[in-house]
Amino acid sequence: MTRKFLILITVDCLRGDRLGMRRGSTSITPFLDSLAHDGVVFSDAIVAGVPTYFSFPAIMASRYALGLGREVLGIAPGEPSLASVLHEKGFATAAFLAGNPYLSSRSGYASGFDLFDDFLTPVSGDSPAADNAQPSALSDLNRLLQRVSKATRWTSAVYDELYFWYCQRLSNREEIDVRQLRPYPAAETLVDRACSWLNSVGNRDFFLWLHFMDAHHPYYPPPEALAAVGASGMSMSRARTVNAYWNRREIGASRLQRYREEILTLYDASVYWVDRQIARLAEALRSAGMWQDSILAVTADHGEEFLEHGERYHSPWNLPEQLVRVPLLIRAPALAPAHISESPFSLIHLAPTLLESMGIGAPRSFQGKSFWQEISQGKLAAGEPAIAETVEVRDNPMETRSRIHPRVLMVRDERYKLIFHFSGKKDELFDLHEDPEEKAAIDSELARPVRARLLRSAREHLRRSKKERDPKLALRARLRQIL
Amino acid sequence: MSGSRTVRLPEEVCVAAEKWLPGKFDDLEALLTFLLTESIKEDGEKLDQAEEEMVEQRLRDLGYI
Repeated sequence: MTRKFLILITVDCLRGDRLGMRRGSTSITPFLDSLAHDGVVFSDAIVAGVPTYFSFPAIMASRYALGLGREVLGIAPGEPSLASVLHEKGFATAAFLAGNPYLSSRSGYASGFDLFDDFLTPVSGDSPAADNAQPSALSDLNRLLQRVSKATRWTSAVYDELYFWYCQRLSNREEIDVRQLRPYPAAETLVDRACSWLNSVGNRDFFLWLHFMDAHHPYYPPPEALAAVGASGMSMSRARTVNAYWNRREIGASRLQRYREEILTLYDASVYWVDRQIARLAEALRSAGMWQDSILAVTADHGEEFLEHGERYHSPWNLPEQLVRVPLLIRAPALAPAHISESPFSLIHLAPTLLESMGIGAPRSFQGKSFWQEISQGKLAAGEPAIAETVEVRDNPMETRSRIHPRVLMVRDERYKLIFHFSGKKDELFDLHEDPEEKAAIDSELARPVRARLLRSAREHLRRSKKERDPKLALRARLRQIL
Repeated sequence: MSGSRTVRLPEEVCVAAEKWLPGKFDDLEALLTFLLTESIKEDGEKLDQAEEEMVEQRLRDLGYI
């Protein structure tokens, strides 16, 4: 009897355009390229929400994040998920997640896992050294200068600039190891843990989920990854300075531009490092004789912006392609290699599709549907447009009140994309064939039928969201947050 | 408060809920009032409704309703 192994790999912040991207003569994703060659690659995989906390309910529970109301964060207690369904079917289940605070047991993601390691419990001695700085004459002087500098915008900017470079000089006095700079566990740590778990799983079918944070800012790839993308000359001190500069909130996009190339180098090297670790996991599966029966899916919760629209990182304010389009690769023994590009594929459909790949039907609560049969035939008929949503979160998204703000909703088919900003009561329409970089929205008088069609889909989504809301699940999730 | 109502709860539920009281709530009524108030807030639902109406209005403006 064939054993069933399902491995889901999610890479935080991995943009769709990074798959197969080259730096010089080197691809930054050599292993994923080989996987794309042997498996099914989706050129238009679209997340259902941005950022992590609005994306993962769709990936793990096939539910739009706002489907239980914007008061709810994560998966509700008792809500069926990919993991809980497989667990009920007797699969051994394990998750190794690189310390993303939104993917915690508190947000319901541990449900269905025999082993759930979110790396969120600090290990004694692992945390950065405490700041033992004592008040001194120098810090008194600094506080005075800061206060005085606020007199004018110009003096304030001069103070900020001088203080930034002073801090960089202080912190870069000694060369530092990349492991001390990273705020999240690196991909190799997760793969090591996963390999140990695979050795213990015995003869059971299993589901393994890995979530990597290496491509999340600050970007600190190891020196060997920098060398692989042709940036062996970049020191860790330089990487720290560039990351620190990129993170400055008080300066505009034009000044950040001068660091963009270096930041992209760090990001691409981080992606390369993740690719190498996925290759290592695949090698471990091969060595254990499991690869042949493994279904491996690789995707991301959202992409990342590098000033293409003036923003950095992945803020929940807009839904440009850099954030909503992610890689999706599925490698399965029964799947012939295919490139699916006819239609966008929403990640709301990923969990039911993966369940069917295991011969298991999806629970009724799933809002997506399985496309396993279509994927097996290597073709996806043009279907409903993909929908992504977010809320203009202010402050800490863990606080419910921070999420009680207007939504941003995207409806996208293979050519057109509509973004509705509810706070500004305006919608923007883009023709992605003519304007793939979304530089100029189409004039409102043009393409009225297209706009109306996508608006109807938006209306249908909002109606369904209310109509299909499970009040018991919503209440349970709210109570979890309150208590 | 404009008034109050008396409700009947199973004894075992009350006993279990009282474990949550120390240091957080004065009594069971305070705990239940807090939980109900927090869990039935409709701020998000109001935004959902307003957003649906905005899309409707946009379709109307375009002449599609």
